[in-house]
Amino acid sequence: MNSARLSKTKRLSSVAAVAAAGSLVLAACSGGADDGGEPGSGGTVDPDEQISLTVTWWGNDDRAERYEQAIDLFEEEYPNITVQPAFQAWEDYWTARATEAAGQSLPDVLQMDLSYISEFGSRGQLLDLTPYVGGELDMSEMPDSLLASGQIGGEQFGIPQSTNTLALFYNPAIVESLGMEPPSADQTWQEYVDWAAEAADAGASEDPTLYGTGDFTGVLWLFVQHLVQEGQEVFTEDGEIAFSEQDVIDWLNLVQPLREADQMLPAERATQLEPLGGFTANEAATEFSWDNFLAGYLADSGAETIEMLPLPVGSSGDRNQFFKPSMLLSAGANTENPEAAAAFIDFITNDAEVGAIFGTSRGVPATETARSQLDVEGVDAQVIGYEEEWADEITESTPVLPQGFGSIEAEWLRLAEELGYGNITVEEFASQWFSEAEISLG
Amino acid sequence: MAPWLAGFFALTFGPMIASLYLSFTDYDLFGAPEFTGLENYQRLFADPQFIQSIKVTTLYVLLGTPIKLAAALAVAMLLNARRRGLGFYRSAFYAPSLVAASVSIAIVWKAMFIDDGVVDRSLQIFGIELGGWVGNQNMTMPMFILLAVWAFGGPMVIFLAGLKQVPTELYEAAEVDGAGRIRKFRNITLPMLSPVIFFNLLMETIGSFQVFASAFIISGGTGGPAGSTLFYTLYLYIRGFGDFRMGYASAMAWLLVIAVGLITILLFRSSKAWVHYQGDSR
Repeated sequence: MNSARLSKTKRLSSVAAVAAAGSLVLAACSGGADDGGEPGSGGTVDPDEQISLTVTWWGNDDRAERYEQAIDLFEEEYPNITVQPAFQAWEDYWTARATEAAGQSLPDVLQMDLSYISEFGSRGQLLDLTPYVGGELDMSEMPDSLLASGQIGGEQFGIPQSTNTLALFYNPAIVESLGMEPPSADQTWQEYVDWAAEAADAGASEDPTLYGTGDFTGVLWLFVQHLVQEGQEVFTEDGEIAFSEQDVIDWLNLVQPLREADQMLPAERATQLEPLGGFTANEAATEFSWDNFLAGYLADSGAETIEMLPLPVGSSGDRNQFFKPSMLLSAGANTENPEAAAAFIDFITNDAEVGAIFGTSRGVPATETARSQLDVEGVDAQVIGYEEEWADEITESTPVLPQGFGSIEAEWLRLAEELGYGNITVEEFASQWFSEAEISLG
Repeated sequence: MAPWLAGFFALTFGPMIASLYLSFTDYDLFGAPEFTGLENYQRLFADPQFIQSIKVTTLYVLLGTPIKLAAALAVAMLLNARRRGLGFYRSAFYAPSLVAASVSIAIVWKAMFIDDGVVDRSLQIFGIELGGWVGNQNMTMPMFILLAVWAFGGPMVIFLAGLKQVPTELYEAAEVDGAGRIRKFRNITLPMLSPVIFFNLLMETIGSFQVFASAFIISGGTGGPAGSTLFYTLYLYIRGFGDFRMGYASAMAWLLVIAVGLITILLFRSSKAWVHYQGDSR
């Protein structure tokens, strides 16, 4: 990992060592959880009390299987705690959580996303985990900058599980079948668009038609990253939007030539291919996404290899990418077993075996112990290798997201579809998105 | 009576009044509702998605309801004759309406109409290349109307009961006068059946305004592609539970109540002109 983060880890660990010394005594008393003084094995969870813990996450069957394995390990370590797991797909997940929050019945532990943490945290729905740090929660290995992404107003509402950063994926087999060279790592955005146009021309005669790319401007995070790359503020401290309608229009216009010339995967085709995407259905040669998507991409597309490039450079020639926590774990404010919840979060965050179970499927694990057991070959190595190779150009911090970000992100996606179907213009996209954002963020 | 009253106030009337109040507030499910007066209603009419949801729903009601009723009446007339195996046919035609609103059928329906699905391939045999209907914003509405029409069993059974009530003397008298099939249908069947048609029309119209489950499943809860399946109730749901804007959703719910109420009144008014009750003439 990058050196700046490591030095922060060291600084924090001295603070945590004091706390850890205290918790070791308690661990000795509690009798459980003592395999080799591993981080996070202490706690104040009463070993004689039968505790039932509800845990929920979003994801697919693959993730569920990994969670089940991790939960089995946790239950072995804490025999008095029974975990009741549940999971949903991304969209249904947030609907279910909102309903629970309204009824003060959030699960004890829930997977949390950066887009929604302020939505729930600032409304008092999440447990402030600060008091448990140093006790059940060993955060000594967590870089400060990363830990901070789970804080709102000084309260720790979520524990980052892993980091990811954006990447440009390409499928070498498709690139080759198009008779093209892969995109270069040092390209500008315009050069990438030109490359995609050329790829689309080469793939026009194939059946099904092959494209260089899909409409990547429809990904709000990519626009956010683009603004950061240009040194522009994205959201103000008060949670207001710091960019203009014109910025949105300029961004969308980046691929307007492709849109007009049918030189990218059509929106209609993208809808038909669901739940796959153009890239995973092997009809587009490249796609931007978070680097931890690699395993899923390989599984869905059946491709032998998929390569990763960093984002195109900004106008200054700098990359200015950022690391984002790919997901966090939070506890519901209504939980009756906060210590057990904290112990569970700690276990998932720090345990080496759990790290091996999840691999990089949730992103690169946030703690060194969890990373230590990862395969040195294969997907995990490729993702970690990517982050390490480009770490010097991952220089910016994740923008602080306003309350309501989840809504404006969904709205962006919806309008991108309308744009793709030709129902609205880029100008209408911008004005409709802004009027919607005004309400969502207001 | 008392238990029913308790249930009515606790489970129906109470929530309705609460939602009426919420429609004048900014309520996000978490904090206390904040009174904003008519703001939700004003915003609704400036909301392109709201307008879109009205367009989609109106089109569905205007096209789907008459086609469904026509199909139900046509099949009911076929099944009104005395033939062998009638019981089987009646059950077979009624069966789809038992399951049509279910989640499983919506999933099957989606699988049939996607690209390279059964429908797409069958049409290709006849040289019709429409591609998948699910991804085509111009084909999703025909698909939903087909789904509605396919479930004509409910109104069909009611039509069948109505047809049984038409006195056969009328047809016999008409035949003596030399009336053909079409004349008999226009001058005897339709007028005699008009109260039943009115009942079915009313129920189906109200039902069509509330279509939700199939749209939710087929579009994956988004109303897509490009808003072409953004039915009113689906949009209401997205606002309420997706964006945590309960006040806004409550305002939408009340507008729906008012709209359906107005349409019901209009249908009742118009019924005086075309619905004939047997008691009137005798």
